[in-house]
Amino acid sequence: MSVTHPTFLSRGSAGRRQRAGMAFAVPAALVFLLVLAYPVFESFRTSLYNIDLLTGEASFTGLGNYADIIRDESLRRTIRNTLLWTVGSLAGQLLLGLGAALLIDADWRGMRWIRQLLLIPYVVPVIATALVWQWMLDGQYGVLGHTLQSVGVVPEGSTPLGLEGSSLWTVIIVNIWRGFPFAMLVYWARMQSIDREQYEAARVDGAGAWHEFRHITLPNLRSATIALLALRGIWTLMYFELVWLLSRGGPAGSSEVLSTHIYKLVMGEFRIGYAAAIATAAGLLTAAIGTVGWLAVRTASRRHSRA
Amino acid sequence: MPSTLADKAPAAVRPSPPPPARTTDRPVGLGRVAAIAGRVVALALIVFFAVGPILWMVLSSIRPADELFQPDPTLVPSTVTGEWYQEVFRGSEAMRWFANSFVVAVVTTVISLVVGTTAGYAVSRFTFPGRRALLAGLSVAYLFPAILLLVPLYLALNSLGLVGGLPGIVIAHVTITLPLTTWLMKSYVEAVPRELEEAAWVDGLGYLRGFLTVTLPLLRTGLATTAMFSFILSWDEFLFASVIGQGDNVTAPVAMAGFVTSFDIRWGAIMALSTLVTVPVVVLFFVLQRYYEKGLTAGSVKG
Repeated sequence: MSVTHPTFLSRGSAGRRQRAGMAFAVPAALVFLLVLAYPVFESFRTSLYNIDLLTGEASFTGLGNYADIIRDESLRRTIRNTLLWTVGSLAGQLLLGLGAALLIDADWRGMRWIRQLLLIPYVVPVIATALVWQWMLDGQYGVLGHTLQSVGVVPEGSTPLGLEGSSLWTVIIVNIWRGFPFAMLVYWARMQSIDREQYEAARVDGAGAWHEFRHITLPNLRSATIALLALRGIWTLMYFELVWLLSRGGPAGSSEVLSTHIYKLVMGEFRIGYAAAIATAAGLLTAAIGTVGWLAVRTASRRHSRA
Repeated sequence: MPSTLADKAPAAVRPSPPPPARTTDRPVGLGRVAAIAGRVVALALIVFFAVGPILWMVLSSIRPADELFQPDPTLVPSTVTGEWYQEVFRGSEAMRWFANSFVVAVVTTVISLVVGTTAGYAVSRFTFPGRRALLAGLSVAYLFPAILLLVPLYLALNSLGLVGGLPGIVIAHVTITLPLTTWLMKSYVEAVPRELEEAAWVDGLGYLRGFLTVTLPLLRTGLATTAMFSFILSWDEFLFASVIGQGDNVTAPVAMAGFVTSFDIRWGAIMALSTLVTVPVVVLFFVLQRYYEKGLTAGSVKG
């Protein structure tokens, strides 16, 4: 019965109700199909072609672009940079975010305002972030650049963004500045919901602050940490704007990450098919890492709940 | 994955009043004074780290040229100048760029609010074929890195003749804002008791009328917060805007990025532009601060 007549086709109120739900969902489903599902499919299709953007000519190469990825020597350094950028940014953001969350977790007068101030880096437009850090690190007149020169960290007249040895680390530090407030907010929100009785019980047992942090606060932040690593991890891996605006991936590719590499292939070299192949491979890799991570979390939490 | 954050974190946010101090019952001693002092110093350092660059940006935008370009600047400028702001508005198309950014952000926000609210309403109030697929698609879209959409979106907009104009930028921005607005509006709809609508349906109001007259007015707070996030996302966006916008039709971030690569870097003017692009966002953020904490933990801004 239900096989030949799905509910949403039936005349009764249940059918009417389902049709109403579908009607409300139609605009989003259309947008989703047009600007997301179709482009993802199109991206894969494009990766099988060599496309000349100027003449509009496309020739089928099959997996040729993917074979090029394996042969591409410069890509290896870019992948190494991308991993370092992701791990460094995440470690810094989470550690600093945790520290800040512990510091703002007190009912001092004016703490509400301090919390607001600490969130500012997270809401400042990325273009302003990039420009003000470039200005501060400027080799001639930058307030930080000048300080770094006078203590001998960087040579006279140069900026850490312009040196091959320090450009990637500098971009990572700016990303930590930009991203730590979000980790702070998530950690602090989680801290608010920790049962206070746990602390009181520990205090009766004569536990010190470190013991409380290590055995009560930290275990309670596990799920927040996993959520932060997953969410920020995926976005940081392929985050384009900050690296591009700060260093353009330079100098000499020293801060090149996958996202800036793809952008240059498209906008600079017009190698659309190859860029699409890298994007597809990176997308599949991200999905694979995400799935493995999700499975690991699931088995871990199951073991945890059984124990 | 967004649902884990959206489900757990906001429920945990209790902005005020703060929980009772957990240290008051300890004896006041020298160690405790030292601990508080250490805490104050650490807090001051981290606030300085967070706010320092922004403060420096604003100060640089009102600092006279001779003070701007000296190796050891004082913290507070000796005199305040508006010359950089004048230069920005007289010597460049800044008004045009900001107007473009504003129009793009407003249209993007309106579209994604309409589509996102109806979708959020659909998935939280109705069951229908494809509901789970839509939810799954939206979570993937929410996590999907923008750079991976660059090639196909560019090719599609190019074949439609939309590269080079503001409508193309709006379409690209909706791909970024829609997953977030849908997730946020879904959680706000779920907070509205469904008995209200069901009573309206019993009274003979149709589904659409019931939604418009009963549910929508109760979603005001959620709509304001979601609109803010959508506006900020579009206002900030650089990648798609830089590829699609051309000539006069560029948004402020794209035009500003071009400012630096020019031979003579006018830092005063650049800091004035940076201040101008930051002010609307920070003002919105503080005006809506009562509501945003939920949105912030529920939906992170990509990147």
